[in-house]
Amino acid sequence: MKNILQWSPPEGLQGAEVTYTVRYFIYGQKKWLSKSECRNILRTYCNLSAETSDYEHQYYARVKAVWGTNCSKGAQTGRFYPFLETRIGPPEVALTTDKKSISIVLTAPEKWKKDPEESSISMQQIYSNLKYHVSIYNAKANKTWSQCVTNQMLVLSWLEPDTLYCVHVASFVPGPPRLAQPSEKQCVSTLKDPASALK
Amino acid sequence: GQEFQFGSCRVEGVVLQELWAAFRAVKDVVQAQDNITGVRLLRKEVLQNVSDAESCYLSQALLKFYLDTVFKNYHGKAAEFRILKSFSTLANNFIAITSRLRPSQENEMFSISESARRRFLLFQREFKQLDIEAALTKAFGEVDILLTWMEKFYQ
Repeated sequence: MKNILQWSPPEGLQGAEVTYTVRYFIYGQKKWLSKSECRNILRTYCNLSAETSDYEHQYYARVKAVWGTNCSKGAQTGRFYPFLETRIGPPEVALTTDKKSISIVLTAPEKWKKDPEESSISMQQIYSNLKYHVSIYNAKANKTWSQCVTNQMLVLSWLEPDTLYCVHVASFVPGPPRLAQPSEKQCVSTLKDPASALK
Repeated sequence: GQEFQFGSCRVEGVVLQELWAAFRAVKDVVQAQDNITGVRLLRKEVLQNVSDAESCYLSQALLKFYLDTVFKNYHGKAAEFRILKSFSTLANNFIAITSRLRPSQENEMFSISESARRRFLLFQREFKQLDIEAALTKAFGEVDILLTWMEKFYQ
């Protein structure tokens, strides 16, 4: 739910000294609101995460450009609905191995927060139907398979001993298509099987 | 398969993904026509903290209103904006859902249907305060809010 408003400079004014002012509007309310950190700025983006943190509201944003004595009409976004349009981050993934199995513990991503000291809100609390798409790659057999899980603990059994497996996980929420960012690939080897070593 | 469970009312055979895809295809076109941004029909007071017991009454009232008033009178606009395909997908699915929504009168306490009715009246009153064309456009533009609420009862 980190919501950054971005825009491009007016046509023909790339490189010119143009300043911008951003305002935002909560659908169903009455006034356009401004954000002091995004008034008369030179950059072409504004972090509106704090202002749009109530994900059940819908929002508009508007940007005005000023160049010398010229002031543009406001360029306005469409209706933005954080609950539907946010990109869900990856879960935290912890792997532990055994001879023929790998245990995967997943921790749901957290909602963006302005102040690190704030208490965290898990995306699981926001999306009760949050699921995980787990992809597993067997490096020895060069094979990949995947599973869709809802709980946060998964044990991959019947694996080959002494084999490198790579795992990456993406969170997803059924319903309207939402972008999701998979986790970094993590690779672990299953332990050697002493029994097979004796043969 | 998946189904809606609005309290004691169950509705099977509806693929919510289809409704989402249909609305997503027309969202920008429809919402861009709604210039009265200071009014939200499906406000938090209408849909927040709806109990399971109320949900059957409220979903039936809202979906019936959408069919009998919004879809019925928005058809011309949908043709004008060339969004009839998505429009029909939404309407047909709403018909499918409402035809199977039967709030059971006997064992449900009167107070539940009454509180659900108050929520619906909040929505309807707001709708009636607008010019009809603007109200139809706004209501259709808020289908994403309605679907988001309905999704909480989809398992």
